[in-house]
Amino acid sequence: MNELKFLRTLAGINLASAMEYRASFISQIVGMFINNGIYFVFWLIFFDRFGTVRGYNIGEIYLLFAIVTLGYGLAYMFAGNTGGSLAYLIAQGRLDYYLVFPRNVLLHVVFSRMVVSTIGDVTFGLIAYLFTGRFHPLEIGLFLLSAVFVALILVAFGVMAGSLAFFLGNTQYASQQLNMTMLTFALYPNSLFTGAARFMLYTIVPAAFVGAVPVRIVQERNGLLLLGLAGVAALMWGLATAVFYTGLRRYESGSAINVNV
Amino acid sequence: MLNQLRITIIKYGAISLTNLQNQLAYVWDVAGRSAMIIFFMFIFTQLWTAVYESQETAVIAGLTLSNTIWYFIIAEVMELGKPRHDIRISEEVKDGSIAYTMGRPYNYLVYHLANGVGEAAVRMGLVFLLGLPVVIYYAGLPTVAARHLPAVFLVVVLAMLLDFFVFSIIGLLAFVTEDIFSFRLIYQKLVFILGGLMIPLDFLPDWLHRIARILPFSLTTYAPAKLFVAFDAAQFRQIVSSQVVWLLIIGAILYRQYRWAVRRLTVNGG
Repeated sequence: MNELKFLRTLAGINLASAMEYRASFISQIVGMFINNGIYFVFWLIFFDRFGTVRGYNIGEIYLLFAIVTLGYGLAYMFAGNTGGSLAYLIAQGRLDYYLVFPRNVLLHVVFSRMVVSTIGDVTFGLIAYLFTGRFHPLEIGLFLLSAVFVALILVAFGVMAGSLAFFLGNTQYASQQLNMTMLTFALYPNSLFTGAARFMLYTIVPAAFVGAVPVRIVQERNGLLLLGLAGVAALMWGLATAVFYTGLRRYESGSAINVNV
Repeated sequence: MLNQLRITIIKYGAISLTNLQNQLAYVWDVAGRSAMIIFFMFIFTQLWTAVYESQETAVIAGLTLSNTIWYFIIAEVMELGKPRHDIRISEEVKDGSIAYTMGRPYNYLVYHLANGVGEAAVRMGLVFLLGLPVVIYYAGLPTVAARHLPAVFLVVVLAMLLDFFVFSIIGLLAFVTEDIFSFRLIYQKLVFILGGLMIPLDFLPDWLHRIARILPFSLTTYAPAKLFVAFDAAQFRQIVSSQVVWLLIIGAILYRQYRWAVRRLTVNGG
């Protein structure tokens, strides 16, 4: 309970700090909204031209985009210090700041940064859902819950990707690219991939749990699959915590003087 | 006059060479950053293989599947190989260091152009080499004729110059907005659709195809990629003339904006 209150305070501070530069704040959000919109336009043109491809049509894409962008937005709006950012903090010895506080180190680090542009993702995800035409309360509930689990999976994956820096040194770009790979694969129809690639999307880069599986949950109103998704999120958080704290034992403090404002 | 030109070429050539060496010194770092092309090309091949399968045809809008896959790697080389000088300009404006860099004995924009050439050479080469195995595995060798390569190269050079002009304008907007994130993002995304990065213009609906052909976005990405996979002399002439016209228009805007930015710059000595 105490931790939740702490995280809420962190989110509030992050938001207040981001809003300090009002023009930049708004332009980043609008920019991201347009960015997502362009991908959306691509798929509209694509399906208009080619019709259904491997069982996917524009209806599935609306839902896919709604879930992935909302999940991604929620993840990085609250927990922006994952992937490349986390790897940077580790490699530069900047974790010292967090280690001296009587708080959960992992949560404190991860929730200390807000990626402002992701507010545009959250807004986009919610608007994209309106295009799906699925307004049954059960479907809306499944959509929102799935998006929360997607966010948890993305953050956990980002923590693991960022924690590579504990073991391999400066992995800022590698960690960033792992996150990008996850997101890129999640945003394409899962049916495009077969064999080893498909296996990879359920294991090493579990993008299927961020895109294809939540789409099925809402389409089929499948509560059991939602439980499965919750299980995957829990498992990934368990793994992420284990990887982070195992890595933390190898962490070497930096001698640089850092100022956190 | 000629001596002055020679000195200028040597000066900016040295800048290009220095950045080229700098990029080569950290070639693994650059390769790591360019590695996404492997995943992009893999996804594109899967997507477009599925499209050709679903359409039950070997040719769409004059392009075979192999042409389409080769088209995408060239388009990606153009996109991912771009130097990021707009971000550097924006950072220099924000931290004030532009006051020093503008005062140095070179033209600020030509410096960034020369610097960018060195960077782009390494990045474009690496993106191409990293994506190549995927492309050859799924599409085989390209059908481009060697005699067309100089013409394609000319279009690539003009495309990069056009891109440089646009990104310079975006970078200099930092004098007004400080943060240029959204401008960069919007331009990039316009290139995605109207530039033909995500879908060749030939696959667009007619009305959108016509609009895209008028605008400059396709001249930076679609133009070199299309000519590489399906060279057509008439299209080459039309593309080069459009590139020259847009270079003049955007160059004039950049010139005026740069002059304005220089006037706005206040340097306090001490």
